[in-house]
Amino acid sequence: MYALADCNNFFASCERVFRPELNGKPVIVLSNNDGCAVARSNEAKALGIKMGDPYFKIRDIVERNGVAVFSGNFPLYGDMSRRVQEVLRSFAPSVEQYSIDEAFLDLSGMDNIDFDTYAKRISATCLKWTAIPVSVGIAPTKTLAKIASKLCKQYPRLQGGCYLHRPRDIEKVLRKFPVGDVWGIGRRSLKKLEQMGVRSAWDYVQLSETTVRKLFFQPGFHTWKELQGIPCIEFEDLVEPKQSICVSRSFAHEIEAMPELCEQVANFAESAVQKLRRQQSLALEMVVFASTNRFKESTPQTSAGLCVPFIDATADHRTLVLAAVDACRKLWRPGFGYKRAGVIITKIVQEADFVRSLWEDDGAAQRESRLSQSIDNITKAFGPGAIRFGAQGDGIVKAARDHQSPHYTTRWEDLPKVTGK
Amino acid sequence: MQPHPIPESGLQEFSFLGEVKAGFPSPAEDVRERLDLVKLLVRHSASTFFFRVDGVSMVDADMDEGDIIIVDRALDPYNGCKAVCFIDGEYTVKRVEIGADGAVLLPCNAKNKRYKPIPVGPDNQFLIWGVVTWVIKKA
Repeated sequence: MYALADCNNFFASCERVFRPELNGKPVIVLSNNDGCAVARSNEAKALGIKMGDPYFKIRDIVERNGVAVFSGNFPLYGDMSRRVQEVLRSFAPSVEQYSIDEAFLDLSGMDNIDFDTYAKRISATCLKWTAIPVSVGIAPTKTLAKIASKLCKQYPRLQGGCYLHRPRDIEKVLRKFPVGDVWGIGRRSLKKLEQMGVRSAWDYVQLSETTVRKLFFQPGFHTWKELQGIPCIEFEDLVEPKQSICVSRSFAHEIEAMPELCEQVANFAESAVQKLRRQQSLALEMVVFASTNRFKESTPQTSAGLCVPFIDATADHRTLVLAAVDACRKLWRPGFGYKRAGVIITKIVQEADFVRSLWEDDGAAQRESRLSQSIDNITKAFGPGAIRFGAQGDGIVKAARDHQSPHYTTRWEDLPKVTGK
Repeated sequence: MQPHPIPESGLQEFSFLGEVKAGFPSPAEDVRERLDLVKLLVRHSASTFFFRVDGVSMVDADMDEGDIIIVDRALDPYNGCKAVCFIDGEYTVKRVEIGADGAVLLPCNAKNKRYKPIPVGPDNQFLIWGVVTWVIKKA
């Protein structure tokens, strides 16, 4: 048996932890640079604010309805996520953190438990201990557990916990569940399914095994079986190293000059290298991209990317930063106001698995790795940005964060104040 | 069950490289004990939060302006506990008297008559945010 614990409107809920007066009121959290809505409380959803709505488009609704607006406060969200995970760990021998606000619990061997009560107890404990509302679905497969947790959000009378296991209950639920909302059904599959007239998860289960295998391959087949209660998707309680690393930002102001854009890209590259080195990986390929403001249709638009391969996989700070700057110079065009840029390390190998090429100059490689090691050590001791390449200029241009809440749980100077009134 | 025999061939001789210092062994070598303040002050790391005291309504309960108080949400409020409460849009730390007909928030400052008990009625927006477990103050 598996449980899926999903924090409700996580970022918005985090903002309410220290602001209980916002319970029952519309709350939204904006993406980096206050660009668009990335989290909405139920009340904000009810006002028609959609995921990804640009802030300037919803400003009107926000002002008319007194919506509380927050810039992303990621130290707070990270800390609250850690707390929820800790609570979950006390309920199951192994927990797979699936994302910042979701985790699977492996409940195998706990079959003598009343799972319905257990699901509700997990949810209630998370709420009491962390003030974060969590929806807990328990089912024989991960895919069904996801569906069960969604039911909790739809039906408050489930009190945050739902145990979905009886075949007739599963059928009833799947008949009403849109196939596009099933975990693992992507946009491309959905298009095919729509053409075939498959609307509900139940319709999908009714397809023949051959059809599913032919049209949706192995992953689609696994989903098909999981919906029937047969576990296919493995439990992964070990954190796998990331297969790609992306660092990108939108800028507070549009950037036209090449040197300025290159400086930003150098910073993104450096921060990507740090992530790469932390997971002991090497880069084989990197993509640098930059684009103009797509919401400003009156100005000339461009969006360009350049792919940089590395013959010898590398995690060297200098190599990657310089390569990124070089690529940025090549893709920059005059006359455009760049609003967003980024660096993605698209091909990653593990240090341990990599065989070096014959042509590498050992002496140079050693010098590079000593320099990189020193950069790591200085960064570790004095914080990010303590040492920089000249190419990075003054560092990343501070993003607009006009609505950020204090770092209540991660900075002594930001502790919430409690008055003696 | 029989103990598994170690095959003779599996044992290999090896020699130490480098020096082996054979002085008096430190009797403390295997004993690594340290006092960990966090372990003492934070029983549940998932549910423990820190607040800063602002105001003097609790000075008799040893909570002075600027002190850090440790709050554990995992604990159930009990009669007479000190707790961070949220009442009508404001945080306040008080001693909570839980009676049959609701709660009363008691300030702890006998010298200042300005601080009066706050009865909690059905019209108040009220919740007990968490129970205070420790006060950290600078000596």
